[in-house]
Amino acid sequence: MYYPKSKAELQEIIRAAREKGTPLVPVSSGTPHIHGISANEKAETLDMSKMNKIMKISRDNRYARVEVGVTFGELIPEMKKNGLRLNAPFLPRANKSVITSALEREAVLVPKYQYDYTDPLLTMEVVFGTGDDFRTGSASGPGPYEELKADMVSPWGPGTVDYQRFIMGAQGTMGIVTWGTLKAELMPTKSKLFFVEAEELSVLTKFTNELLRYRTLDDCIILNSVNLAKAFSDTAEEEQDILKRAAPWTFICRICGFDRYPEKRIEIYESYFADICQKHGIEFKSAPFGNLELAAKIDSMLWDCDRRETYWKVKKGDVREILFLTPPSKVPYLTETLKNAVSAHPAEDVGITLQPQVQGRAFRIECDLFCKSSADVEELAFNAETGLLKNGAYFDRPYSNICQEVYSIDPVGTESLRKIKNIFDPDGIFNPGKLCF
Amino acid sequence: MSLSREIYNELAAIVGSAHISDKPHILAGNRAKTPDYPMEYKSAEAIVRPGSVEELQAIVKLCNKYGIIFAPMVSGVMPTAFASRPNTIIIQLSRMNRIVEINEEDRYVVIEPGVRHVQLYPELRKRGFSYTAASVGPGGSVLANFTSTSGDHHTQHGNSRANRYLLGVEMILPDGEIIRTGSLQTGSGWFCPDGPGPGLRGIVKGYNGNHAQFGIITRIAIAIDPCKGPAEPEMSGISPHHTVRMNTPCSKVIIYKFKDIDHLRDAMIKTGEAEIGSTVIKYFYLPATLMMTDSANDFWKMWTDEHKAELTMPLIVHLATRSEEEMKYEETILHDIAAELGGVRIKREYEEWWENHMDFFMIVSRLQSVLRLGGGWAPIKLASDSVAHICEVGKNINNFIHDFTDTGKIFDAPEDYQIIPMEYGHFAHIELLIMWDRTDPNVMKGVGEFRAASRQTDIDNHFHAEMPVFLSPGSMQIGPLYSNFHIWLKQLKEAFDPNNVANPMM
Ligand SMILES: Cc1cc2nc3c(=O)[nH]c(=O)nc-3n(C[C@H](O)[C@H](O)[C@H](O)COP(=O)(O)OP(=O)(O)OC[C@H]3O[C@@H](n4cnc5c(N)ncnc54)[C@H](O)[C@@H]3O)c2cc1C
Repeated sequence: MYYPKSKAELQEIIRAAREKGTPLVPVSSGTPHIHGISANEKAETLDMSKMNKIMKISRDNRYARVEVGVTFGELIPEMKKNGLRLNAPFLPRANKSVITSALEREAVLVPKYQYDYTDPLLTMEVVFGTGDDFRTGSASGPGPYEELKADMVSPWGPGTVDYQRFIMGAQGTMGIVTWGTLKAELMPTKSKLFFVEAEELSVLTKFTNELLRYRTLDDCIILNSVNLAKAFSDTAEEEQDILKRAAPWTFICRICGFDRYPEKRIEIYESYFADICQKHGIEFKSAPFGNLELAAKIDSMLWDCDRRETYWKVKKGDVREILFLTPPSKVPYLTETLKNAVSAHPAEDVGITLQPQVQGRAFRIECDLFCKSSADVEELAFNAETGLLKNGAYFDRPYSNICQEVYSIDPVGTESLRKIKNIFDPDGIFNPGKLCF
Repeated sequence: MSLSREIYNELAAIVGSAHISDKPHILAGNRAKTPDYPMEYKSAEAIVRPGSVEELQAIVKLCNKYGIIFAPMVSGVMPTAFASRPNTIIIQLSRMNRIVEINEEDRYVVIEPGVRHVQLYPELRKRGFSYTAASVGPGGSVLANFTSTSGDHHTQHGNSRANRYLLGVEMILPDGEIIRTGSLQTGSGWFCPDGPGPGLRGIVKGYNGNHAQFGIITRIAIAIDPCKGPAEPEMSGISPHHTVRMNTPCSKVIIYKFKDIDHLRDAMIKTGEAEIGSTVIKYFYLPATLMMTDSANDFWKMWTDEHKAELTMPLIVHLATRSEEEMKYEETILHDIAAELGGVRIKREYEEWWENHMDFFMIVSRLQSVLRLGGGWAPIKLASDSVAHICEVGKNINNFIHDFTDTGKIFDAPEDYQIIPMEYGHFAHIELLIMWDRTDPNVMKGVGEFRAASRQTDIDNHFHAEMPVFLSPGSMQIGPLYSNFHIWLKQLKEAFDPNNVANPMM
């Protein structure tokens, strides 16, 4: 186990590992590691949690630069103090690294602020398997980091290659990121939460697809009753109560106003929202199943991470996630396919969350199989994933066994990824066996 | 070295003899033709016009086998679409011009390389959609714009540059193999550019495009969005005396001028924070004047101090809303911001010019008139960072440009830079446009000195103001200043193009 505290220490560890041929597996967040840490038994763990400085928060230019060990629990309050919010995932655990969440392209809560899948990560510093350091986008130069006057927020390049796209989604196989710059949004001065309940998911996804074209919503998420109950309850009784009373599907969205005429903005955007609801024959409410207390709780929890002692996804002990992306048109079909594929698992332990991403051009579908140990449901989950893959689901973040299936589809593409890996980690010391390397 | 008859015949067998030529007059007509530089350009050895991906793949394989350099071309606006060294063939892609799919539900289109803005834009507009079209003009290839150039455009304040909208890509590598990026790689459709895991999308395009240095792109999907305003603008007249208007109360152009770049910067940031405005831009005053006039005489009549004062520090704002109430709301905020920062509304006739030429906010059919004076021109700087940093870069231009404008080395327009914020002011792009008299035999020396001075000033000031471009001797020189990107780029090029046949610049 290594705990580098600086880039120089990290480079030294990498040099030594390279000489000895010791594989290194980076981790930056605290436990639980839902997708597992290491696929390689000989590997040493590179724990980045000691690189945990908040380097800069800029209110005027709306960004935060943090070292990779900084967690949501630490950063969110600091952002708030500066009048800013992160476009964060839905209730991430408090000890989760903000940078690795973005590196993994985790779904974010506000699709309108996400322009592509790399958003909200803007720039980063990374140390490659050769020990060389590198900065992306407008952090690349000219000259050393300390002297650069730029805010280092422009994500592309340097030059004609998008290096960040080799590092994102790579699960630590291409390089070790030391810091990253994240886009931030202004904290609204007023906001209003809306709920829509539905028996059929397809009603909601069709309506969401139209709604997001207006770019008026902030938070936007669809939860089945199991995930609504798990995420927003603090006791077993509360969980059971929500589970009993909630509709099969709940759509939650937020409309915000900022410094200038916030009421007016909310009024105009709400009128668009109401028009679309009416067009789709949908009724919107200010609370799920009339529970105003729950609505207030959801409202405040969505601004934050999950600070409870037990992270909401592991209340039962463990969770096995099935994660994929799909365009809006395929959501109803793939969700049905998913539900059928996991029907052998007890229904009250199958949580499903749908998050529209990238301005609503795609949905991230997440199925959480709550269980005592993920090993118990591995076969079921893997079979479900295989079936979904055959039916067109896109496993853009392939974890565990589905990796092999994903990378066997297009040998030329996989071989091309290996060429890239050979350049940035020529000795294959980073996380060997994790993806297709 | 000219192509051997055998190779020529092999190429002809692939595309058919009607689609290949090595006739001297055809080759001469296809030399780089930018009028900007008094230079002698090379002819290619042949031009081939494939009609399908299969033909294109066979051509690339043949080039790789025999070590023949290839440069793909559509309209040929960029000099990199032509032969720059011996032993080069031009692969002219204009026959591959199908709009393969328009997917309104999932908001993307799939296009081949030969599809031009003039073909795609109206097709989408009539369905109520639009996309981020560069200001190259109607004849430019949409695919080349999205993959090979910066992809910055006039309306990116309310959305972003083309990089964010490039989805699935299908590309023939220099060895003739085909790769597909993102969701295409696993047969899951065109919608997502990234992954699985780390993505191949990284080699397709960075800040700018690589001009086919990693192969030829055969199809791309780009994201589309609903356009605000009527599907069909009102058009009248004949170009260049035409007007394109949006006759709706939900579309308005409002222009404020500011005392200096600091105030303009704050106005940009505040409009971004309020998330209002479809377009916000500090536009170059020289091209603006060229667009407003039809001849050199007209230009000189208009280019007065009074005119320049109106357009030196303008915040050109296009408000496009879904309702009149929203228009009122956005207008009120804009006027408030201007009042707080001492903005002065410019003469109404200028606003009217923009309202009469809404194509500026669409496919910019007038920008080619930049070339009309017959002068040479070049964009300099071309980088992005925060609005504040980019405005600092703009402000600094005045500290070195006068040595060149006052001595006639370049046209006397010291404030001729544009700044376009994007993603509601999260970043901004800068471009300094210089013009010169190409009939002056010594002019290129002065232009070269200006470029060097501009770059050196930014390096000395530690400004991120000029993003390096593709693999070339120039990028090898400045690479050490930019995280040694040149070392990685060279290795990538060697891994994917070991025979150095894909449009090499070194
Ligand atoms: C006046 C003017 C204004 C412009 N404004 C902008 C602007 O605002 N924003 C912006 O982004 N760009 C701008 N450009 C650049 C412009 O977008 C591109 O030059 C244009 O889109 C290219 O179209 P083309 O058909 O002429 O391409 P070409 O010149 O034929 O090709 C351009 C480059 O792409 C390569 N290429 C062509 N096809 C392929 C392919 N299938 N695969 C791989 N490489 C290929 C060529 O080899 C060449 O290097 C401007 C250019 C001009 C002249």
